[in-house]
Amino acid sequence: MTTTWIEGLPPGDTDWDRFVALCPDPFEALAAVVVAAWDEADPVLLELCRVRMATLLGFAAEQARRTERARTAGLDEAKLEALAAWPTSPRFTARERACLALAEQFVVDANGVGDEHVAAVTDHLGPAGCYAFVQALSVVETFQRACLTLGIESIPDVDRLSTSHHESPTPEVPQ
Amino acid sequence: MKPRIPLPTDELNQLGLPDTSGMAPAMTAARDQLRRAAFRMRQVDAVTTELVRIRNARHQTCYF
Repeated sequence: MTTTWIEGLPPGDTDWDRFVALCPDPFEALAAVVVAAWDEADPVLLELCRVRMATLLGFAAEQARRTERARTAGLDEAKLEALAAWPTSPRFTARERACLALAEQFVVDANGVGDEHVAAVTDHLGPAGCYAFVQALSVVETFQRACLTLGIESIPDVDRLSTSHHESPTPEVPQ
Repeated sequence: MKPRIPLPTDELNQLGLPDTSGMAPAMTAARDQLRRAAFRMRQVDAVTTELVRIRNARHQTCYF
């Protein structure tokens, strides 16, 4: 069992599980959003961006964690180890560079995301793909910042997150 | 604000923003579920919640 700086949490296999046990409604809803993001996005692209965002946020535990979906889709450790050099490393494609550039700017300062960032991603993913990718980035950022703030360091893989929520999101879209 | 990507419709939603409801619908639905879960929490009072929401909107340059 790991610990966080919040005392009195119920027992659980991971920090995440302990927070779910403490406060199931919002944490299961957050898990459902994360699962939906992974269902929508290219797992390799999202994993590259997730790990890069964790690095920029100083979230060592998330930086070290790996997502099985991305590994299954062909992402290897050598590429992840070269991630800091993505602008120049030949390991990264133009598509991956476009997505990583947007992801970096998004996490550092979303107001600094420019037309050129969006256009480059749209060139590779198409409009719908770009929209889904930006939504997924937003989910990953929200998740990482929430975990950082709460001291949640041990987090199950996305496919175990998905088994912990029982309700499907409703299609209703209130504003 | 002009959308940076072409959208399938020129319709606006009730906030006057471009209607993207048909794009990534599963993620949109899950995010709405999360927003509802956050608003259902009673550990933080309504005034503090609203102050944080408005402060965050300003920080994000989100004016709607």
